[in-house]
Amino acid sequence: MYSSIDVIGILSAIAVLTGLGVGFGALLGVVSERFKREDNPLVEQIDAILPQTQCGQCGYPGCRPYAEAINQGDALNKCPPGGEATIHALADLLGREPAPLDGEAQSVAKVAFIREEECIGCTKCIQACPVDAIIGAAKLMHTVIEDECTGCDLCLDPCPVDCIDMLPRSAPLNQWQPVVAHSSNVIASDRQSAQGEP
Amino acid sequence: MSNAYDFPGGIYPPERKQRSNRSALTEAPLPSRVILTLQQHSGQAATPCVAPGDTVKVGSVIAKREGMISSDLHASISGMVSEVNATQISIEGDGQDEWLRLPPLAWQYVEPHALLERLNDSGIVGLGGAGFPTHIKARVVERHAINTLVINAAECEPYITVDDLTLRHHANEVLEGAQIIAKLCGAQHIIIGIEDNKPEAIEALKHALSNSQPISIELKVIATRYPSGGERQLIKRLLNLNVPSGGLPADVGVLCHNPGTLLAILHAVRDGQPLVSRVVTLTGEAISQPGNRWVRLGTSVRELLEQAGLNTPELHQVIQGGPMMGTPLLTLDAPVTKLTNCLIAATIEELPPPPAESPCIRCGECESVCPVALLPQQLHWYARAQDDAKLERYHLFDCIECGACSYVCPSHIPLVVDYREAKSRLRLQRIETAKAEHAKHRFEFRQARLAREEAEKQARKEARQAQQRRPSNTIAASSEKVDLRGLRIAHAAAKASVKKAEKTLARVAQEDPKQSLDDFEMQLATAQENLKAAELQLAQAREQQSSEESS
Repeated sequence: MYSSIDVIGILSAIAVLTGLGVGFGALLGVVSERFKREDNPLVEQIDAILPQTQCGQCGYPGCRPYAEAINQGDALNKCPPGGEATIHALADLLGREPAPLDGEAQSVAKVAFIREEECIGCTKCIQACPVDAIIGAAKLMHTVIEDECTGCDLCLDPCPVDCIDMLPRSAPLNQWQPVVAHSSNVIASDRQSAQGEP
Repeated sequence: MSNAYDFPGGIYPPERKQRSNRSALTEAPLPSRVILTLQQHSGQAATPCVAPGDTVKVGSVIAKREGMISSDLHASISGMVSEVNATQISIEGDGQDEWLRLPPLAWQYVEPHALLERLNDSGIVGLGGAGFPTHIKARVVERHAINTLVINAAECEPYITVDDLTLRHHANEVLEGAQIIAKLCGAQHIIIGIEDNKPEAIEALKHALSNSQPISIELKVIATRYPSGGERQLIKRLLNLNVPSGGLPADVGVLCHNPGTLLAILHAVRDGQPLVSRVVTLTGEAISQPGNRWVRLGTSVRELLEQAGLNTPELHQVIQGGPMMGTPLLTLDAPVTKLTNCLIAATIEELPPPPAESPCIRCGECESVCPVALLPQQLHWYARAQDDAKLERYHLFDCIECGACSYVCPSHIPLVVDYREAKSRLRLQRIETAKAEHAKHRFEFRQARLAREEAEKQARKEARQAQQRRPSNTIAASSEKVDLRGLRIAHAAAKASVKKAEKTLARVAQEDPKQSLDDFEMQLATAQENLKAAELQLAQAREQQSSEESS
């Protein structure tokens, strides 16, 4: 009597726990199948930080492939258009160490400009442009839509007559930024001791 | 003052209004040359529609509005256009002062759309300082019910007496202008908020109130305190309503207008006269005949001040606007614009340059005077450190740049300069982010288009091959096993994403019809391209499979 109750108790406990395990396992399986995401949310976040010039200077065909590569563990410092700011934002997001930029940083935003009298209408730059910012047709002069151009340089190489220049982007008046030089924010005694030092 | 509620903070700077409110409102002499800048309002600059050599009359349209938030510009003197460039239009006057007026409208009887069109054609913008186009402001009723129209005659900033003099001379007309706007917006109440330091204007308003039809107007006199003329502060003070952060007064059913704007509205509707002149306060110790003048837009500041007896050796700086929120002019050759309400020709004793900045000592004075209840010293640290996330969290964009914090700062820190700089940096960042997003959509669209073109090419190739194969009836060795199931899933996903893009577009278009939908349209087009490519691939795979089965 005593031992039989014990056996029933043990068996029922095992049955309940097994049941719970199977039940929750099935639930998790169903949920993971039902709410499956095709895209990786982290890749989306990385992609949002990248400057979307689609220039390929990182060695990948566009910003999204590079975002995927970063997610797989590629280095953060391969984006010259983004510069230091992008590296720091990525490092913050991923909790990695920021590294110095691999390549030359751009000082000002640039856009492509076609010297129209020299253009021969070969359409090679139109095919190279990743954002369809060049309009024109075969044997007719081409031109760049300034607002759409990301300044990726990809149209420079294909041009057989070298009629494309990269010029600084013209900013409208309402995007003007004040130039404010702040005095360094040290207290007076610091300033004096700093001057005192050799 | 029994009805007045209160906003936090505020300061009591010396008013110095007596210098310009003693003399009557007069007309400034007709200028022989005007320079009209294309950006005299918030939003996009106007586009010139005249060429050098064209003759114009007073009121001829010389630049058309461009885009949603913008305003027309009219010639302010008659004569010949001498120069048109990217930022301004110059007109040489012929001294005739010939006018080109629009037909008068009887506002009591015309349809609202005719009134709106008239406001649009007259180039009227808010003359209080922000310069928001009035016809856009009047269209706010399309999305918000307006209950109360507030006439903002507080004019809390020192030196400025434009509204004071406008009301003393034109109280009846200002109230009639208010009735027009109330009719247009369906407002049932009109309230005038005015500070108690303008007794003559209050007297004139009391006389005018009884004649005003059809809505009765309430006059509320409030105690003088800076910045009670701020839109949100005045609404809080008069109606005890809080305009939500990032929202508009229309969100609480209120519309605010400046007396000068209401006068300009009446002139546009009743007389058909576009906005070509405005009242400007000329004041400061460096001129001998201070006062308020009707000035044609585009008149040079130097000319105006010289007519008012400018004492050049005494002059230290000229400030456009008030001493709290105005900006020093770098050159006296600048023209008067729709936004120039006051010109202060100050001597060095009157408005001395600020002492050198010292470090913040965390005294908290700025917090106690901030009329928006922000934390100015925290904002100061974060603005200097360019900590953008913290700036957003401390509501930098709620700052009205009234300058009360800079005024009381014992360390003479130019706090508002910091905030303005941070705001313009954040605005630029938003523009850049939007641009990057746009480029991304265009890139994705291009990829989708290329994929679709590739799929079409493949389909044509297969069709050609199938035609060649059929007569000889040879069995094509399918190089790879067709993944029909995978293609079907891809097709279904593409279909779903088209539907999703359509839904998003419809939702956004309904929520905010003003917003540019380019990016959403492009996302939809991208999804459609993807769907086409998937359809082609699927059809092709099915074809292939059926041919394999039949053979």
